[in-house]
Amino acid sequence: MAEDMTIESYLAQGGVLSNPENVPPRYRAELMKLMTTFVDSELAGSAGFADIINEAPGIKERIAACRIVMEKTDHAERVMKVMADFGADIEKYATHQPWTARLDRDAVLGPTRTGGDMRLSVFHYPLAGWTDAVVMNVLMGRAVRIQLDEFARVSYQPLAEAFRAILPVETRHAELGEEGLRKLVADPAARDAVAASVAYWWPRVAESFGAAESARFEQQKGYGLRHRSNADLLASWEKDAGALLSELGLKAG
Amino acid sequence: MARFHPLTVTDVQKTIRDAVVVTLKPEDPETFDFIPGQYLTFRRDFEGEELRRSYSICAGKDEGVLQVGIKRVEGGAFSTWANEELKPGDTLEAMPPMGNFHTPIAPGADKHYLGFAGGSGITPVLSILKTVLQREPESRFTLVYANRAVNTIMFREELEDLKNTYLGRLNVIHVLESGGEEIDLFTGRVDEEKCAQLFRLWIDVKSADTAFICGPEPMMLAISQALRDHGMGDDRIKFELFASAQPGRARRKAVSADAARQGNTTEATVRLDGAAHSFTMPKDGQTILDAALGQQMDAPFACKAGVCSTCRAKVVEGEVEMIANHALEDYEVARGYVLTCQCFPLTDTVVVDYDQ
Repeated sequence: MAEDMTIESYLAQGGVLSNPENVPPRYRAELMKLMTTFVDSELAGSAGFADIINEAPGIKERIAACRIVMEKTDHAERVMKVMADFGADIEKYATHQPWTARLDRDAVLGPTRTGGDMRLSVFHYPLAGWTDAVVMNVLMGRAVRIQLDEFARVSYQPLAEAFRAILPVETRHAELGEEGLRKLVADPAARDAVAASVAYWWPRVAESFGAAESARFEQQKGYGLRHRSNADLLASWEKDAGALLSELGLKAG
Repeated sequence: MARFHPLTVTDVQKTIRDAVVVTLKPEDPETFDFIPGQYLTFRRDFEGEELRRSYSICAGKDEGVLQVGIKRVEGGAFSTWANEELKPGDTLEAMPPMGNFHTPIAPGADKHYLGFAGGSGITPVLSILKTVLQREPESRFTLVYANRAVNTIMFREELEDLKNTYLGRLNVIHVLESGGEEIDLFTGRVDEEKCAQLFRLWIDVKSADTAFICGPEPMMLAISQALRDHGMGDDRIKFELFASAQPGRARRKAVSADAARQGNTTEATVRLDGAAHSFTMPKDGQTILDAALGQQMDAPFACKAGVCSTCRAKVVEGEVEMIANHALEDYEVARGYVLTCQCFPLTDTVVVDYDQ
């Protein structure tokens, strides 16, 4: 039975791991980084959206915004539970960063990490009111769907399961955003503001897919933590989100 | 956070020549309430070096005992010790049950489970199958159990008894690398080809709800591929790798009691929340983060793996060695930022500031 096979070659051939005990150190590091990025992004994203609740123009919108804030926090917790298996102190983690902190709207970050946490750079930019939040939620929501579809295949089974459970809820968030956006564009007076927000968020959401050429990608792929390249995922998003925008008579980018 | 707890060994039974089933009595039974499929992580000192080893719980939920199966691994310090020296009355230290090799059990369920076990990989599968058969009266379980030869089959008689107890609901297919069986199907290794034969003639994968696979790497790959080829989705296949070699836990040598006398220490000053705290710490064996925590300082940390950057601080004076860094950018390191969970002092004095 006990043919010799390294964990690395097991993973390269599509093997799945399910507990921290036989996870190699580099794999653990990549996995933790992936989880931390997701958790920090969800916590920063929901913290930023919380302020938007009070700007909701109606009761349905208010409920949608509350729901998004609550469920994104819940998603962070689900992944934090997986991190806890690796020894992370999640009680401390949940409050160790100022999740509401944002940089200037005009800051130029690029796709690199900034500040003390590991949120995607897109979550460092502040939302400018309801319309802006709706547009960001639609564009980022579509991106999250593509990114989660990728992450639902990670070789660490407990995390893959968490992402599979999170995916339909995040998809619903994008749909709620879309409902809001359709309402907004129906008002001719609001179209300029919508278009301005699309122009603002499009490149910033695109950057959340990371650099097109990523040296870490090959290693992550070998570990079964990634399957499709950043450029490939980005292309899917541009097509998907672009189609929605043109249907609404908006211009991408 | 998970901590080690003492457990008293109440029984040690040999199952086959080189495997024992150890029955344990925890001081606090609630802490050791387990989900079938989970494992315990034990620690023990072997000549000054702490070894940690994980073994799956093999008892069912309704047996009222906590049992693990330990198969002796060639050259394995812990498993050899457990097989040769462990006896009732001894105390073991273990963390509470952990692991994700399980699915929810529901009394009304009418499911068909598949289990694939290689060698000692039977232990968590046995716990699951016993619990499922007891708690889900409508469910069935088919076990494919791979071993080298008849005399290396752990729990062989217990499985026979279970088949009789749960007539028609438990099906066990032994696959042996060598020996006894007349039919080709039941000899050889469990590879993709063997699975294809099994799935064509004996096991209806389409009717199966969930598959549990526990064994060495090649077997896991072969079976999961065969299951996928027969239409089973990844979300219905549960994996628990019993790696042929658990990764070494090479850690820094424990702090030598002589270290202080040899002057191998550092005067550390740690600034946190506006207050500075000075103390003496060894240069070897303890990270700056752990030393600060040991001084009752509320230093921030999360992953302790050099990944999350929660424990970031700036080295204001002296030098440290950072053994891993997966979080800080080069420019941050250039400015003197370090991950304190990964840092050991190099100079006789260091000043580290968490507030910068």
